[in-house]
Amino acid sequence: MEREETLPAATSPAAPTAIGERPLVELRGISKAFGHVQALQRVDFCVFPGEVVGLVGDNGAGKSTLIKIISGAYQPDSGTILIDGKPVTFHSPRDAMMMGIATVYQNLALVDQRDVAANIFLGREPTTGIVIDRRRMVEEAVQVLQQLRSDIPSVEVAVGLLSGGQRQAVAIARAVHQAAARLVIMDEPVAALGIEESRKVLRLIKQLKAQGRAVIVISHNLEHVFSVADRIVVLRRGRLAGVRRREDTNAAEIVRLIVGAEHL
Amino acid sequence: MEQDLQSQNLQQEASGCGTNSVDAILDELESTGAAELLTRAGPRGLRDSLQALLRMREFSILSATILLFIALSLATPLFPQLDNILLVARQISILAVIATGVTFLFISGEIDLSIGSIYGFLGIVLASLIAKFELNPWLALLVVVILGAAIGLVNGTVTTRFGIPSFIVTLGMLSILRGGALLASGGWPVMIKLPRDDPFLNITSGHVGGLVPTQVFWMIGVMAIGGFVLSKTRFGSHVYATGGNQEAAILAGINTKWVKTINFMITGALCGIAAALLLGQHRNAFPLTGTGYELDIIAAVVIGGTPLFGGAGSILGTFLGAAVLGMITNGLVLLGASAYFEPVAKGSIIVAAILVDTLIRKRRV
Repeated sequence: MEREETLPAATSPAAPTAIGERPLVELRGISKAFGHVQALQRVDFCVFPGEVVGLVGDNGAGKSTLIKIISGAYQPDSGTILIDGKPVTFHSPRDAMMMGIATVYQNLALVDQRDVAANIFLGREPTTGIVIDRRRMVEEAVQVLQQLRSDIPSVEVAVGLLSGGQRQAVAIARAVHQAAARLVIMDEPVAALGIEESRKVLRLIKQLKAQGRAVIVISHNLEHVFSVADRIVVLRRGRLAGVRRREDTNAAEIVRLIVGAEHL
Repeated sequence: MEQDLQSQNLQQEASGCGTNSVDAILDELESTGAAELLTRAGPRGLRDSLQALLRMREFSILSATILLFIALSLATPLFPQLDNILLVARQISILAVIATGVTFLFISGEIDLSIGSIYGFLGIVLASLIAKFELNPWLALLVVVILGAAIGLVNGTVTTRFGIPSFIVTLGMLSILRGGALLASGGWPVMIKLPRDDPFLNITSGHVGGLVPTQVFWMIGVMAIGGFVLSKTRFGSHVYATGGNQEAAILAGINTKWVKTINFMITGALCGIAAALLLGQHRNAFPLTGTGYELDIIAAVVIGGTPLFGGAGSILGTFLGAAVLGMITNGLVLLGASAYFEPVAKGSIIVAAILVDTLIRKRRV
């Protein structure tokens, strides 16, 4: 447990989403169009420290666009992004990263031939003089993976030899370490995984939450969403279809929101 | 009563497929076993052996080198003599110097077919600078190293900025520079007239202690620096990442275009050094020098375990690959085989090396 204190910028494992607490990230009236396609229309969204938000919706509902705006990959046409209550503008994912927002891409962006430590430090290798500080890389990689309670046996194993869930853990570990992340965004983290591997990833998400980090999870699998999310945000055709606390809703209601009540 | 309970349990299980069951499993996982699952620094267990398999690239080429050495030593007592070993070492030196740069290129996922032409062209330029323009040989060497890097810059820029495959770009450069060498020399050899004891000649192709060729030290030096950069520096790490997963490297903020371009430049610059090592030996530059040499160099790199598509490989492997080629050439001469047989043997070794590598790769999946 004491190890968690050494983690950079991890807030204390606060009681999740006490009412009246300030959101970590808040979006107000976000709109985004691609040509004639209105991907997002005046969407409000927020996520609190230590909260897991499940973002669901049909294909083309605007989920990906929304997280790309939060992660700095897209700039909204209109609307405001607030972090800790202050308005910000992201010009690139790097800007978002500086504010502690890290994204785990669906394809994970790992180099299979390189080992776990090298992947966690990809592009940011620490050096002493001109030589890579391999010892520090290994130590910090072990540390961050232990905090995630990952079952990766060694950080000196090539990533290509790991299972799908372990690869996901490496990508998450990189996001966490890289951005000293306060918010981790995951796009379909379990889409390609088997049951056992999915559980491991869901456990990782709970671990992030326990460390006081916020998590946004996009998933098509409602069972998974219900197992980890504190709140569920539903998008439909670029608009906010509804926000529900997990304990106040059920799968049937969420499905109704996703497809639109008129269809049932 | 009992039946009731059972059916209740069943019902619970059936309806509990939602939140509760997964939660329970997660909690259970967390409370048990967690300590055993913690990540360690070093390799262990099953992964250990899998990783050993991954390292097999170098292991197989190392065993092949040793086996070949033993076989040739048994076949002819002349082979393991010190002066013969040094001869082989000198014969592979120039090839190994260029192959060091090509290893960087291959790992980053690019190829350079123009190396033989760059090498030949820079030889003509170097000899002309010394013979016709009476430039200090060291200054002339500096000029051709920079010129080689500039040629690499062109190869790299056209490849990375315009998205043309390096195979095509450097195939064009191969032809351009061969023509350049012929035009610059008028088709004739260019002879340099330096005194026999000129330090340029001694340092490029003399002998240390009257025994060990200096070219061997050039090879060791270039390969040691290359190996260090590749395995110990950030740049080396970025070379592997660029060839391993370019998209991931870009997302991680690595300028993959620049990494590749620098590798083309390193390769070109090393062709300049190689040209000087050869000129020191022959004191003549021939416009057709290096014709077909690219195939030998690429063969050494590939036999050494660096895959054509990048992401893996090492300088040590390339050295061993060059050593295998050198020993085969030398061994065939000592055994009195027809010189016409040498290309057959080399070609067979290349295919065999790739075959072994492919079989290992298949097993890995």
